[in-house]
Amino acid sequence: MVPTMNESISYFIQQVINGLTVGSTYALIAIGYTMVYGIIGMINFAHGEIYMLGTYITFIVIAGLTLLGIESLPFILIAALIISMMVAGAYGFTIERVAYRPVRSSKRLIALISAIGMSIFLQNYMRLAQGSRDLAQQSIISGSWSLGTDEISVNLAYMQLIIFVITLICMVLLTLFISRSRVGRACRACSQDAGMTNLLGINTNHMIAATFVIGAMLAAVAGVLLGLYYGVVNPMIGFIAGLKAFTAAVLGGIGSIPGAVLGGLILGTAETMTGAYFSAQYKDVVAFSLLCLILLFRPSGLLGKPEVEKI
Amino acid sequence: MKKTFQATLLSAAAASLLLGSSLASAASTIKIALAGPVSGPVAQYGDMQFTGAQMAIKRINAQGGVNGKMLEGVVYDDACEPRQAVTVANRIVNDNISFVVGHLCSGSTQPASAVYDEEGILMITAASTSPEITQLGYRTIFRTIGLDNMQGPVAGNYIATKVKPKKMAILHDKQQYGEGIARAVNQTVTDKGINVVMFDGINAGDRDFSAIISRMVREDVDFVYYGGYHPELGLLLRQSSEQGLDAQFMGPEGVGNPDITAIAGEASEGLLVTLPPAFEQDPRNADLVKAFRDNKEDPAGPFVMPAYTAVQLMAEGMKGTKSENPEKVAAYLRANSFDTPIGQVQYDDKGDLKAFNFVVFTWHADATRTEAP
Repeated sequence: MVPTMNESISYFIQQVINGLTVGSTYALIAIGYTMVYGIIGMINFAHGEIYMLGTYITFIVIAGLTLLGIESLPFILIAALIISMMVAGAYGFTIERVAYRPVRSSKRLIALISAIGMSIFLQNYMRLAQGSRDLAQQSIISGSWSLGTDEISVNLAYMQLIIFVITLICMVLLTLFISRSRVGRACRACSQDAGMTNLLGINTNHMIAATFVIGAMLAAVAGVLLGLYYGVVNPMIGFIAGLKAFTAAVLGGIGSIPGAVLGGLILGTAETMTGAYFSAQYKDVVAFSLLCLILLFRPSGLLGKPEVEKI
Repeated sequence: MKKTFQATLLSAAAASLLLGSSLASAASTIKIALAGPVSGPVAQYGDMQFTGAQMAIKRINAQGGVNGKMLEGVVYDDACEPRQAVTVANRIVNDNISFVVGHLCSGSTQPASAVYDEEGILMITAASTSPEITQLGYRTIFRTIGLDNMQGPVAGNYIATKVKPKKMAILHDKQQYGEGIARAVNQTVTDKGINVVMFDGINAGDRDFSAIISRMVREDVDFVYYGGYHPELGLLLRQSSEQGLDAQFMGPEGVGNPDITAIAGEASEGLLVTLPPAFEQDPRNADLVKAFRDNKEDPAGPFVMPAYTAVQLMAEGMKGTKSENPEKVAAYLRANSFDTPIGQVQYDDKGDLKAFNFVVFTWHADATRTEAP
């Protein structure tokens, strides 16, 4: 049976939705990545690990609340968000103090190695604390909408929509925060000339710590949402997630927040379309070839400003 | 004069080294390495193997050990990673251990077995089902489990004669075990005229399968065979039920453990799994099953009894040859037949079991299984 025109269109739209959701998950992690880079010019390799921590905290919060007999969905969601953002913020602050501040003034390579070390430490720390098996959480937000008419219909899961919307909200809030708020302005000043900013009466150490805390909180948001969406976690998920998010950030232009979202969406859609029309085996090949191509023709990424001397 | 003195000193040192090693080998215990995943995503299979092997060691020691010596199990963690498996194999060689129960994942058993064969160490795997492992003419490599090319046809025949799907999809995780078994199933069902509309690989560790599920929905797939392990199939099941794919799923023994239910929940109800027979329900094993239960251990894991058998075979081989020479024991294992918890064991020339049955089970949402109709 040859699929009709309408079926092909529905299928295409369905795959676009799937791709945008995968892309949003990358974007959600990538905006934290890119923000830290944009402000202090340093790649925080432990970012994926904070995302992983966020998912663990979500599962613990849900288990705890269910044990207390609280089953109100919005309450669980908000409690999970607040608690994991707070805990992740504390982790972000500590990581900056322990792994980055002591090496900040030395060569970039040293800071990079320190970040990778931190990432390995956190992975194994969680492995010891929580075991290396997959922990699973049954979905608390399930179900989907069937959109469209009789001829063209697609499926949109509630979680897909929530992830998509929250990613956009995070992007807008973060952009506003950095361009409009007092702290945001101070952060940008630090990124341009930390020494001068210090002379003007702004404590650069505080600003950089704040950047890490906000970055970690964003990773925690991603951890909560993706934890609820996929429902499984193990200590290793941070690595692949971090790698994909880093790719998305580079693709969109590292340092640019809308760029991270765009990069994530493109990466997710490219992977999904490869799986949909070609073969799922090659989706990573296609995604990374795309990255190579874009970097060949636009070395600073899609929305990145061409800059010299940043890594 | 001085030179001769040095030479004497050197040879004395060498002699004492030799003495040291012979003293070590005359110790009063016989060490058996238990190599498998203690960590990593499939560590629960490692537990099954360790449980079975430790129980065998305990029971053999309680009956006076082997040739007047006690057995001692030493656990090595390979995390089911091929690279780490080679490191573990080399450590076992350095630790002067001549008997290995393991490894677990075919991908790590394969490179490790090359090391053992070269060093003349006897290895019996209780779980690796990839046929390639025993195809290189090794002399000291055995298994107490069947092969993928036995398991694949069992699954394929069941699909073709009982399920008779109209449109079937076969997916695998691109790893030695998963892809091997998926190909075996593909071969069997296409020979029997089943329409396989999709044969595709996914990445182990992937968490989003929406693209491939949408594709299966469009193709009207009514039966999916997945070659691989439970983390990916669990998510596939869960996302399929959320995205409205109405298909029957089936997998090999790598997916048949309670974690699939933890991940997929209700969606794991009715999953078909090929597993070794339920040895713990065999009346001849009642005594052994009771020993496991008294110990608060679960004898029902698919690799518990095979691991028990592996240790038992080593002990019988050492008793039968009155030696701890792994090559003599290997020859003895090939030449004789043994009565074990997994039934009568007889080896062919390659070190594979002459007969081993896989059985199709239906998995239930309370993490139990019943034999499939």
